[in-house]
Amino acid sequence: MASSNMNEVDKTLVLEARQLAKSVDFHGEHLVILREADLSLARGESVAIVGASGSGKSTLLSLLAGLDYPSNGDVFLLGQSLFDLSEDQRARLRRDRVGFVFQNFQLLPQLTALENVMLPLELAGRRDAREGATAMMERVGLGHRLTHFPRHLSGGEQQRVALARAFVIQPRILFADEPTGNLDMSTGRQVIDLLFRLNEEEGTSLVLVTHDTELAGRCDAICRLVDGRLNGAGR
Amino acid sequence: MKRLASFRLALRLLGREAGAGELTLLMLALVMAVTAITSVAFFSDRVRSGLAQRATWLLAADMVVNADQPLPDSFAAEARRSGLQLTRSVTFPSMILSGGKAVLSTYKAVEPGYPLRGEVTLVGADGQERTGRWRPEAGTVWADSRLLDRLGARLGDTVTLGGARLTIAARLVAEPDGAMDLYNFIPRLMLASEDLAATGLIQEGSRARYRLMVAGTTPQVSRFSAWARERLPRGARLENVEEARPEVRSALQQGRRFLGLTAMLTVTLCAAAVMMAVRRYLSRHWQQLAVLRCMGLTASELGRVFFLVFLWVALVAGVIGTALGYGVQEGLAYLATGWVGSDLPAPAWPLFASGMVAALVLLLGLTLPAMSAIRHVPPLAVLRDEIPATPRSVLTPVLAVASLLALASWLIGEVDIALMMMAGLLVFLTVAIGLAWLVVKAVRPGPGCATIGIRAGLANLARRPWLAIVQMAALSVSLMALLTLLVVRNDLVAAWQKSLPEEAPNTYAINVQDVQREAFTRFFKEAGQPVPTLSPAVRARLMSVNDRPVRATDYAEGAARRLVEREFNLSWRDSLPEGNRVTEGHWWNPGSRDAAFSVEEGLARTLGLAVGDRLQFDVAGTPVDARITSLRAVPWESFRVNFFVVANPAVFSGMPASLMTSFRVREQDRPFVARLIEQFPTVTVIDVNQIIVEVRRMVDRLARAIELMFGLSLLAGVLVSWAALITLRESRMLNAGLMRTLGASRGQIRTVLFAELMWLGALTGLIAALGAMALGALAARQLFNLPWYIDWRLVPMGVVIGMSVVTLAGWPIVRRVTRTAPVVVLRSL
Repeated sequence: MASSNMNEVDKTLVLEARQLAKSVDFHGEHLVILREADLSLARGESVAIVGASGSGKSTLLSLLAGLDYPSNGDVFLLGQSLFDLSEDQRARLRRDRVGFVFQNFQLLPQLTALENVMLPLELAGRRDAREGATAMMERVGLGHRLTHFPRHLSGGEQQRVALARAFVIQPRILFADEPTGNLDMSTGRQVIDLLFRLNEEEGTSLVLVTHDTELAGRCDAICRLVDGRLNGAGR
Repeated sequence: MKRLASFRLALRLLGREAGAGELTLLMLALVMAVTAITSVAFFSDRVRSGLAQRATWLLAADMVVNADQPLPDSFAAEARRSGLQLTRSVTFPSMILSGGKAVLSTYKAVEPGYPLRGEVTLVGADGQERTGRWRPEAGTVWADSRLLDRLGARLGDTVTLGGARLTIAARLVAEPDGAMDLYNFIPRLMLASEDLAATGLIQEGSRARYRLMVAGTTPQVSRFSAWARERLPRGARLENVEEARPEVRSALQQGRRFLGLTAMLTVTLCAAAVMMAVRRYLSRHWQQLAVLRCMGLTASELGRVFFLVFLWVALVAGVIGTALGYGVQEGLAYLATGWVGSDLPAPAWPLFASGMVAALVLLLGLTLPAMSAIRHVPPLAVLRDEIPATPRSVLTPVLAVASLLALASWLIGEVDIALMMMAGLLVFLTVAIGLAWLVVKAVRPGPGCATIGIRAGLANLARRPWLAIVQMAALSVSLMALLTLLVVRNDLVAAWQKSLPEEAPNTYAINVQDVQREAFTRFFKEAGQPVPTLSPAVRARLMSVNDRPVRATDYAEGAARRLVEREFNLSWRDSLPEGNRVTEGHWWNPGSRDAAFSVEEGLARTLGLAVGDRLQFDVAGTPVDARITSLRAVPWESFRVNFFVVANPAVFSGMPASLMTSFRVREQDRPFVARLIEQFPTVTVIDVNQIIVEVRRMVDRLARAIELMFGLSLLAGVLVSWAALITLRESRMLNAGLMRTLGASRGQIRTVLFAELMWLGALTGLIAALGAMALGALAARQLFNLPWYIDWRLVPMGVVIGMSVVTLAGWPIVRRVTRTAPVVVLRSL
């Protein structure tokens, strides 16, 4: 395959995993968590990764986002092979192009809601951090909660702040790890609605880890993890 | 990331975390360490300069040329050329007549300018006591109360001094160089030098001492002493007070050691608290660090943010600690003043930076490894609720020990003692961890071991062995300090005070000739006085070490140079002098023919001498050669006759020497001494009572200052215990909360928790008691030359205190766990 041809294909792809595998040695036992997974995601697409508890969903997510090292295979994020980069180079790649939403929100407790949202902008050296963050807080419906600390917000509100923090840098791709896992059903639905609305508005690609099949159904594609194998990349 | 952004983030984090109390423990620990360090640094500095100032007062000058003949005029001319201030005095014994009575008295005729250093205290005709730099006007004299009493004279009376008739203008209470005069046992009289010729008392053969006193800057004085040393006439010597009173120096040095060690104990305890605080901070921030990594912070950016946070903490702690340290030091000075004059000189300004430096050294030494852990936080940690791995690096202990060691050697002023202390602490920690490990191993629960009941308490400790071991080690360090404070300190300080016995000799007799030996001892026997031991003494100058000529310029240290320049009192004897202790090598066998010297260890250290070195002394023109076969610790504060260098008698066989001794004179025995002086006019009797009183007062006051320092250590111990107990608390809460959820009754949980706390406390107390015993014994023996000291009461005390402290501190956990709903407990963690 000609290399020029490869590049042309890669441009449309935001994320691509090739033969991705992960195994660990635990107390002398060799455990295979993930076997030769292939996955690709184009700009604006969304994919759900589903599977039972302990099936390795979070491991796959961390490999795709470059938070962990695979035993084998490679991941291309925005055309860049992640594991050719150093930890710090990966950090710079994530800085203004990748967003994260976690099950347990992971807001910095010492910072107010607004400061949490400002943080990624400040890290990117943006001068209009405060204005940008305030506007984003308005978009997630928390314009009246700017100076509240995370501990004074409900779970749903905290996750909305986390969404604002993830989207404020207009990321190319968003990784969401069980974003409704710590929320009741109706709050969870509101948060998911917001997530997909923002995703659509920003044209962000989305990797969503969940065990909620209904939620998974809202994505363009569903991948199921069974015994470390990634099955099916479609509806 | 822009530097400004990390700076802003650091400031924001710092402000919020300080508000939320996340940094309280770290801040408190640092502030306390800096307080301890700076207070001792300030205080030592003030005492050192105060003592140096005071020392010159004892001479009334910075340096004195003391001769038995008038000095050639070239000496005064050279002193003037060197830019020194100078004055002269002549001291001699003679009779004084008044109203038909004749009394033997010491005359001192002083030139204008006297005293160059220190002050004279007088009572004038108006009965008012005055202190100042004065001397008698021509035509008048000042007499001390002994002389006035014996003559039955009053101020304004006229006395006859040889051919002159002079008026007593004032009563002499104190003169700066009084204690240094050889004839200070007999009544004293001071007159102006202008009247000396008229008395006609100074003639050929008079036993007069001529003193040329100089004062100026240190370089001026040392230049002049170098010049004078080359040209000293026979019978002349240079006097420099620094070596003249080893007793004062010795007491001061031990006081400083006590203070330095106490401060170091505080600093070490604080360091332990700092490390625990940093560890706790890290474990509470692990996930946040991972979030920041996910958001794209590089390792060095993350490191920079938290370095800035810690740097701010260090700066704030440095400022607060220095201010507190200054306050504490004022307290120390208040407790200690009186013995170095009513006011101490102010501390040197550069010392104010020392608090900052100390805070930075401590924080850098103790947190750099943690900083490297921050740099290596895996972003993956954000997805996993894992406990942060302890940063495994050889750097941690090396840096921590190095920074503590640097601070310790600076504080104590002696590197070997600092090393010893750090080694001791390391050994203690190792042993404490080993013991804790053994205990935990011994009670390792088998499968199906009880989860409820008293035995479960012990089993629970073993279920989390490393947590138990860390807690035991940390708590035992502070408990050890506490026990040391409660028991060992009192006994050590008391023993130190006792080392200056009430019955210490207060009188020296020198220049006893060999032919007088029998008559001298018989005189004591007949008067019913205890017979003192006479030691031979010769003046000797060190000429060469291992055949290499000794020159003052070979030594960088000022103390060493002066030691080389001056003459030693050298003695010889068969047996080890009373109270001396051989610290290296062996004492010679009595009667052996070995050419052997035994050298005082401090002198050996200063001059870099070791066992096996060959020394050559010049004794009145005769070279004397021998090897050093032993080093000795000498109890200077005993006030017995002590020698820097003692030889095997074989070395000096047949050499003429005068004898010297020391004995105690009670107040009622003063007439006996007067008769002794009359009977042996060539023997010089020196009263050192004043010096003993001064040293004893100094020891008492230093002891009080040390107790204040111990108070600070105690606070540090409480701080460490607090830090250790916070982790203890957090680890126990979750378990108890879960057990309640599973249906355990309050009583059951209470029993388990209490049992666990009691076991932990008892074991910790036992380890601490053993440590305190070892520390006390070592400190007594190695640092303070006191007898071995072991107090078995410490064991039961340690166990009881450990159980009470840990259980009391753990009580809030038990209360919280049993009083609140399980879900609240679980959620709060």
